[in-house]
Formats: sequence, C-alpha cells, structure tokens
Amino acid sequence: MRTSRGAGNPPPRRLSRRRKELAWAVVFLAPAIIAILTLRIAPSVGAVISSLHRGFPGGVLEPVFSGFRNYSDLLANEAFRDTVVRTVVFNLIINPLQVAIALMVAVLVTRKIGAPGIWRTLIFIPATVPIVGSSIVWGVALRPEGPINAIIEAFGGSPQPFFTSGDQALASIMLVLSWIGIGYWMLFLISGIQAIPEEYFEAARLDRAGPIRTFFSITIPLLKRPLLFVLVADTVANFVVFVPIQMLTNGGPQNSTTMQMFNAYRTTYTYGSKNLGAAEVVILTLIMLVFVAIQFRMLREDRPTRSRR
Amino acid sequence: MRRTTRAAGTVGVIALLLTAACSSESDGGGDGGDGSWSLPAEDPTATIQVLGHQDAEDMQPVLDAFAEAHPTITVEYEAVPFDQLNSILDARIGNQDGNPDVFWADQPRIPALASRGYTEDLSEQFADDLDAFDPAPVESSSFDGSLWALPIANSTQLLYYNKTLLDAAGAEYPSAAVEDRMTWEEVTERAQAAVDAGAQNGLLFGQVNRYYQLQPLPMSLGGSAGGTGDGNLTPDLTTDPWVEAMTWYGSIFADGLSPQGVTPEQSDAEFLTGNTAYMVQGPWLLPQLSDATFEWGVAAHPAFADGEAVTPTGSWSLAMSPFSDDKDAAGIFMRWMSVEDGGGYALNYASPELPATPEGKTAYFERDVFDSDSGQDAVAIIDYESSNTAVPRLQTVGYVEFEEILGRAFSDVANGTDPQTALESATGELETAWAQYQ
Repeated sequence: MRTSRGAGNPPPRRLSRRRKELAWAVVFLAPAIIAILTLRIAPSVGAVISSLHRGFPGGVLEPVFSGFRNYSDLLANEAFRDTVVRTVVFNLIINPLQVAIALMVAVLVTRKIGAPGIWRTLIFIPATVPIVGSSIVWGVALRPEGPINAIIEAFGGSPQPFFTSGDQALASIMLVLSWIGIGYWMLFLISGIQAIPEEYFEAARLDRAGPIRTFFSITIPLLKRPLLFVLVADTVANFVVFVPIQMLTNGGPQNSTTMQMFNAYRTTYTYGSKNLGAAEVVILTLIMLVFVAIQFRMLREDRPTRSRR
Repeated sequence: MRRTTRAAGTVGVIALLLTAACSSESDGGGDGGDGSWSLPAEDPTATIQVLGHQDAEDMQPVLDAFAEAHPTITVEYEAVPFDQLNSILDARIGNQDGNPDVFWADQPRIPALASRGYTEDLSEQFADDLDAFDPAPVESSSFDGSLWALPIANSTQLLYYNKTLLDAAGAEYPSAAVEDRMTWEEVTERAQAAVDAGAQNGLLFGQVNRYYQLQPLPMSLGGSAGGTGDGNLTPDLTTDPWVEAMTWYGSIFADGLSPQGVTPEQSDAEFLTGNTAYMVQGPWLLPQLSDATFEWGVAAHPAFADGEAVTPTGSWSLAMSPFSDDKDAAGIFMRWMSVEDGGGYALNYASPELPATPEGKTAYFERDVFDSDSGQDAVAIIDYESSNTAVPRLQTVGYVEFEEILGRAFSDVANGTDPQTALESATGELETAWAQYQ
C-alpha cells in the first residue's frame, strides 16, 4: 500500500513510527485473535452452516443443504418445545437464586465476624472440587437408600426419591449446582464489596441507616458491575449445564431434567444427527443471547448525573 | 519491521487456513470401504488400534495370546464404558483418521453402523470362514446381503439362584429342566419369600433397564419386538403385552424385590456377595461362580404363565473401520479373535460370553466351572435355549435410537412411572427420532 504524502499528512518519520507500532500491535494481538477465530468464531460459523443441512445420522455421509428445515422440524416437535421451556424456566429460577444467595453470603462474610477466612474457605471449597467429583458424591448422598434419606428417616421423615422422581429430580440438580456455584460467585462479590470505599458505609452509619437500608442504598448500587458479571457468567454456565445431568439423571426421569445443552449432546452424539444437533445449539445460543442482553439492560450503569455540591 | 509485517501476514494466513479447516464439513464417505485389500499370507508389521467395552486388564490375556501368535502386529486396545461406546464410535469414526481400526460392534446395531458408513464390507475376505460359525450370529452380523462384522460371541440367559438363601426361605430348588421352567408369577412369589426370610434382593436383572434382557417379557406375552412396519421403523410399544410386562417389571421394584441403582456393571458382583436369591444373567457369570462362597444353581429363563418361552440372544461382533489404514493387519486380528481354533477371544478371555462357533463352544464347555452338577445343568440349558427359544433383537437401521429411548423408559418404569405413560412418551420420542429414516 503506497501512502500519498499530501498536505495534512503527518511527516514521514512519525508515520513510520505509527506503522511500526501498528505492526507490533498486530504481532502481539495475533495469538488472541487467532485463538478467538479458530476456537470461537469458526466453530460457531460451522454450527450455523451445519444446521442448514440434513444428512443421514452418523459422521461420514455427505449432508445436503436443506435451508431452515431442521429448525421448522424442531419447533414443530413438542418434546423439543418442552425442553426449551424447561431450560428457560430452570434459568429463571436458578440464576437469581444463586446470585442472591451468593450475595447474602458475601455480605455476611465481609461483616465483622470471627475468623472470616475460615468461613470463606469453607464456602469456597465446593467450587474447587471437580464437577465430576461433586456429581458422584451427591449422586451417592441422594440415592434412594443413601445417607441423606437415612438422616431424614432418623428424624422420622419418609425417604425422598431425589433423582428418581420427575417432581424432584430437577430441584435436586439445582441443589447440586448451587452447592458448587455459590462459593465461586461469592468470591467475585466479596472483592466487589471490599472495593467499596469505607467512607460510604461510615456516612450511612452517621445518617443512622440500618444494615438493610445500607445494603439496598449503598452496597447494591455500588456493586452493579461485579453483580452484572456474576449474573451473566452464571447464566451462561447454567444454560450450558451438562455434567451433573449426564451423570446423575441422564435427562430423566421422564425427561424432567433434559436441558437444551444435554439434548443437543444426545442428538449429536448418541443419535448421530449432527445437523439437527447443530440447529439445537444455534437455538440455545440465540436464547442465551436474549437473556444476557436483558441482563445487561437491567443492570446498566445509570448515566452519570451532574454532581451537585 | 518488514519482517514483522511478513510474520504477521503469515500468521494471518495460517489462521485463515485453520478457520477454513475447522468450518469445513466432513467431506462425505472418504476413501473407505473400497474393498481393495485381502488377508495376506504373510503377517505385515503394523500397529492397529482396537476400541472395545471390555476392561483392558481383562483383555490382556487375550492380547498376550495374540501377540504370541502374530508377533509383528501390535494391538493397542482401548476400553470405554459400554454406555459411551456409541457416542465415542460416532465421534472417532467421523474423524475418518483410521483410529480405531477395529471396534466392538453390538450385533443389533450392525444395520445402523453399516448404513452410517462406519463398517467395512467383509463379505469377500471372510467368505470361506462363514461355515465355522453358528448361523444366528452370522445373520445378525449381516445386513442388506453383506457381512459387516465377525461375531466373537453369542448369548443366552439363565436364572441363577443362591441355594443358601433358598434354604433360609425353606424353598425347594427350581428344576433345571427346560420343560419345567418357572413362570414369572412363581419367581415373583419365591423372590418375595426370600426377601421375607432376610435376603437383601429377591430378584435381580443382571442388565437392569436394558432392552436385551427385558425384550423377552413383552414377547413372552405375545408382544412384538417393539417395532413394526416398513424396516421396523414404526414404534409398537403401547400394546397390551408391553404394558402388562412393564407393569410387572415396575412392581418388582415397587415391592422391594429388586434393588434400585445396581448398574449392569455391578450386578455380577452383587450376586457374588451372596445377598441375592434369584438373578437373570448370561453364561458369562458362570466362570465367576468358581469364586462363589455359597452353593448356587441354575434354572431355565422364566416365562409368563399365559405366555411363550422366549430368551434373549445375540452378542458382540468385531467390525472394521472403512478408514483403517492397516486393513490387512486388522483382518488378521479379527480372524484370530473370531474363528481360529474356535476363536482366540473365547479361548483366552477369563469370563467370555458364549462363543459364536461350535468349535469354540466345545472348548468353552470344557472349562472347570462346567464340571459341577449345576455346571452341567447350565450346559444343557444354554444348548437348548440358543437353538429353540432365542429371539433376535429388533432388526432396524434405527436401533441406536430405539435402544437409548427404550432404556430410559425402562428406567422410568423401575423408578415408579406409570408404564402406559412411559411407553407412550417413548413412542413419541421414537417417532421423532425415526422420522429421518422414513
């Protein structure tokens, strides 16, 4: 590319320095950009293209272009629509619940309690256990003849069919996910709370604000950024939840724990319908984007008003 | 500076190439399955990858024996859990890189595997070996007039019982004669008596919630194998025999005769601990019973009082990937495993399924476990069932979906779901899954 040296252009030496900087910027950014292109963009484009084709189940026969037929088939299928509704409802419940509990716990452990480090460690430990391990442990604990039911029976209750009844399985999965998730999200919120300058709390105390008023008027507004991050990241994580479902219920009983991600996996790998599975993934991604967009709007930073003295 | 720009440009081009590689669809059938190979007279020097569901440690004696017979061919065996074999095969063979060269193929899945282009046509290379097999396993390894896999095993089912627990319940031992086979109604009653007398499990299905072992229940009552119509691609699960059979199946869990949560992988060990009165299981339990600390016996597989005697059959075959780059070596391994001297797998595996060749069966029945009276009873039952009461599993290209969806319905029934509801919901799921084959 030749550069014209017309009026208004910077002198050559500065230009070459800027070009040098630009070249170095490209070099330093290249690994990240290549990673994003190959690991994120390309598979997404591949999934969209794949979802517009139909083929015989299995991985070695050439699929043919079919436009939106996979999508129309899916949307016409009651079981798939149920799965979408189930996934959305699941997320409407579990995300606010997890974030609210994580926030409460974060507030508690940042107050003046004895040995805060020990409490934090205890709450965070579940997040450090691999999710496969947690699933196995909970699977054993919540078995029909497992220890949890033994405790319930010791207190005179009747044993519960945690993972074996369509009414309780999803709630039990939520329990496992929250046990893993709450400690993890709590960490982000703790650092957010500690970043709030102490003067605000002091001022609130001078104004005789109680702990609840302080929480809603000081803590929450000044926590918006970390809260938004936690809410979005938690939402994404719960939309693509897979391991506990595969290990604990395999989508059952009666498909009560079949979420979209698990369903897409089953379609793609168990039944070998890769194109249909790709369409399911695209639909899941679109729903996730809608959710995240709404959350961004909800927690948008207020426009900075002119400061009054 | 120029160099850095060029470097950046190169990096960009590589990125583009990678992107293109990632997003390009798999390009069709590849060069697999052109049949231009033959079993060589001389062993080639090669390494083949084999994928199966049998534990690697248990397979070691078999692989050692093969290494001795064919020292120039190295076998890299990889074990995956039975439940994941399908998904893993799908992904691996879809990669088209020739790993695995040989894989364990469940006989009822062979039509599906062949239609998907996952298996090499073996008709030509093994035409002379077919006479060495029993006809049934060869038939179930064939589809559409071609042979797609070599059987290494066949199977049937027996009713095992724990004499100690029967004595405790004051029950007499069931007869081993096939003409005196018990009814399921009787077995239920006896299992209840055993539980009342202190047995932890009254009746255990060794392959709980799996179609293989449960198919005889509805078929004994006159039901179909689960599908009808063109290519057996119309679900047939909501008929009276199916609902009735599943109602009985659900009841054995509800009444506490069968335990919840003992997986097929754990069931043999469960029986060997001595806490189970009756268990339905294949002949592969027999060699393990040499270690049993209690007296055991066998009886014929039960049938419903108003029904026919029906038993499961079929087992595993070895299939070759069309993308294998060592087909001649893979062929030698498959031939050694399945037919040579009655089949290297059957001869060297510690607790094999029933061999698929008469020669292998002869050697199999000479194992120590068959020396006892109960062992002799087992031989007679196995011989009779595999040629008289055996019914093959549903023959359809949609078997993969069928087995998965039905397995979930069985599991729901065992967990207390109403059988009619479970079977209707399975029917709906199957119709959706099978639509692509219509």
